[in-house]
Amino acid sequence: MADSSAPKPSSSVKLVLLGEAAVGKSSLVLRFVNNDFQENKEPTIGAAFLTQKCNLPTRTIKFEIWDTAGQERFASLAPMYYRNAQAALVVYDLTKPTSLIKAKHWVAELQRQASPGIVIALVGNKLDLTEDGTGSGGDAEDAGGEDSGDARKISTEEAKTYAEEEGLLFFETSAKTGFNVTEVFTAIANAIPETSLKTARGPGASHAAARTEEQRVNLNGPRDPNAKEGCAC
Amino acid sequence: MESLGDTLWDVVISGTGLQQSLLALALSRSGKKILHIDPNEFYGGSEAAFSLQDAKSWVTHASNGSCGLVKSASIALPEDATGLSPSRAYSLALAPQLIHARSAILSQLVSSRAYRQVEFLAVGSFFIFSPSRDSAEASGLTRIPSTREEVFSTTAISAKEKRLLMKFLKFVLDHESSPHLETWQEHADSPLVDFLQKEFKMGGELQTYIITLTLSLDGQINTRDGLAVIRRHLSSMGVYGPGFAAIYPKWGGLSEIAQVSCRAGAVGGAVYMLGTGIETMEIAEDEVELHLTSGDNIKTRMLVRADDSPSGQTGVGRLVAVVGSPLTSLFEATVEGAPRPAVALIAFPAGSLSTAAGEESAYPVYLSVHSSETGECPVGQSVLYLTTLATGNVTGILERALDAFIHATSDSQAPQVLYRLQYEQLPGADTARAEGPIFTFPAPSPSLSFDDSVLEPVQEAWKKVMGEAAAEAEYMVFEDREGAMDDDVYE
Repeated sequence: MADSSAPKPSSSVKLVLLGEAAVGKSSLVLRFVNNDFQENKEPTIGAAFLTQKCNLPTRTIKFEIWDTAGQERFASLAPMYYRNAQAALVVYDLTKPTSLIKAKHWVAELQRQASPGIVIALVGNKLDLTEDGTGSGGDAEDAGGEDSGDARKISTEEAKTYAEEEGLLFFETSAKTGFNVTEVFTAIANAIPETSLKTARGPGASHAAARTEEQRVNLNGPRDPNAKEGCAC
Repeated sequence: MESLGDTLWDVVISGTGLQQSLLALALSRSGKKILHIDPNEFYGGSEAAFSLQDAKSWVTHASNGSCGLVKSASIALPEDATGLSPSRAYSLALAPQLIHARSAILSQLVSSRAYRQVEFLAVGSFFIFSPSRDSAEASGLTRIPSTREEVFSTTAISAKEKRLLMKFLKFVLDHESSPHLETWQEHADSPLVDFLQKEFKMGGELQTYIITLTLSLDGQINTRDGLAVIRRHLSSMGVYGPGFAAIYPKWGGLSEIAQVSCRAGAVGGAVYMLGTGIETMEIAEDEVELHLTSGDNIKTRMLVRADDSPSGQTGVGRLVAVVGSPLTSLFEATVEGAPRPAVALIAFPAGSLSTAAGEESAYPVYLSVHSSETGECPVGQSVLYLTTLATGNVTGILERALDAFIHATSDSQAPQVLYRLQYEQLPGADTARAEGPIFTFPAPSPSLSFDDSVLEPVQEAWKKVMGEAAAEAEYMVFEDREGAMDDDVYE
């Protein structure tokens, strides 16, 4: 059965990004999807949708990423995105204390409103602006002109303790240098329980992957062009 | 950030029901300034899907009379029932319509690329409920043969009936051309049942099969519409795979399409506000000034909304029940290579049910059974959606249908009903209205299968908003957005 050339089971995971404006949600996705970074990226309007595959040893996860605008005005959007989401990335800016407060609000809302069993990752972004920033990409200007060159306002310890209490995955990242970005998505992919994947529902889940293909109707698939006006007779 | 009032909006869309949401999708690449609001705290309007908690607040709301087209909503939880999962494990659909493969909404979802975010499941067999005629005979469900193969293989009807049915199916597929056209045209406006009797000498049972395929709520569909609907059913068979004619969007039917459309609207830059309605409005020549319940005063060139005043005609009684059984036998693929269906449909013909007080069902009752694959309930349970015209003791009839179904599907232990939601959906205006800068969609259709006529007013509204630009723009035809199709694998 373990034929290495056989295609690995593949499943889609809906992932939603939440967090205060300007914490770097879109930048994280841009780094993950295109391995790219834009300084002074325009704020996201409304929302954006992107997909990216993540290859695990035993399966392939296709992330369907919903990147939402962080502005308060768009709070009405969030429920539409986290509905049926299997994973959420709640992002804060580790140089900005209010952004962690906002992140905690989102975590509470997800725990109250989103699908039971949703995998939530708490991500402190802009690690490049701190002293332990691995990328050394944080130049003096970015670092806010502080003497120490360290703009960090939220300690790893504080956020990590909170994440552990709430049962969240936790990472500090730099979308700018790319540090830890892939790791976040891989960790989420690994944390999604096999049973909540679209491939593994219901009884007889051992043939789950095959069964999904059996069940999902593909509107764009090999469709019989003359599908038959006359098939019944 | 600039406030809502500083913008002159091109269109304010009020309500996130299916039609308003499809309009948002249609306008999502137009560059128009769009404010999309909904007085509800949820998306989907009359097509919403609810967790148990949402359903509860909706019922409270409806009993205050604040949902114009809903009445007599109530929830019943049997006292002895255990096994109901947490609220959010459910997604109960207000509009669990099946969508025929040949429906234009599917081509629009494909050409607009919105289909990528919807997961579709196959709708399986249609069954007919036959009551026991005497105490010795059990009531049961008979699968309706609706393809050539099924007609050949069924044991439910005689060889003579098979020939008749085959003849009729052939006729339907070719009914718009001569000589068939002439055969039915003089009966176009009379009931299809009479036509079947006169021209095909069909008896009661075959008539029932065919009327069920039309999903006619009053069983009185006329010959013209009836033939068209059956033709759609037959020609939809096999379009997206073998063995099924219709599909169903996972996670709550049309609610999912409404949400996907709103998301497309949001990606295109529309501003969304839930829990915000229109308090008052003033109409100037080419502008509407709206005072919103949020306190904002805004100006827009156009307002698009939906009608929600009851027309006074007969409504539709609905019962949504969660049962503690996967009802596996209803969800078998009947053709090799067919996807396992997630939806099955059962028809209780008129007169096949009677209440304790002896009232017979005057109209058919339809029951759509959804497996947990629809995402509407947890594994091991099923959701039942019952619908019939709201006349007489509609509650009693629906309860009887539920009861009869449960006994017909179980040999030994009857599955437990864990939850019941009941309400009446009232009909409203059936055509769209354009009055100056205000466009009003008709009330939602109560039909069991998606009706393409719902799409026309959406395109009409789109033309109004687009103005002259509508001439060059292709309706609902978009490229994939950047990034949405990126299939590179990140190792």
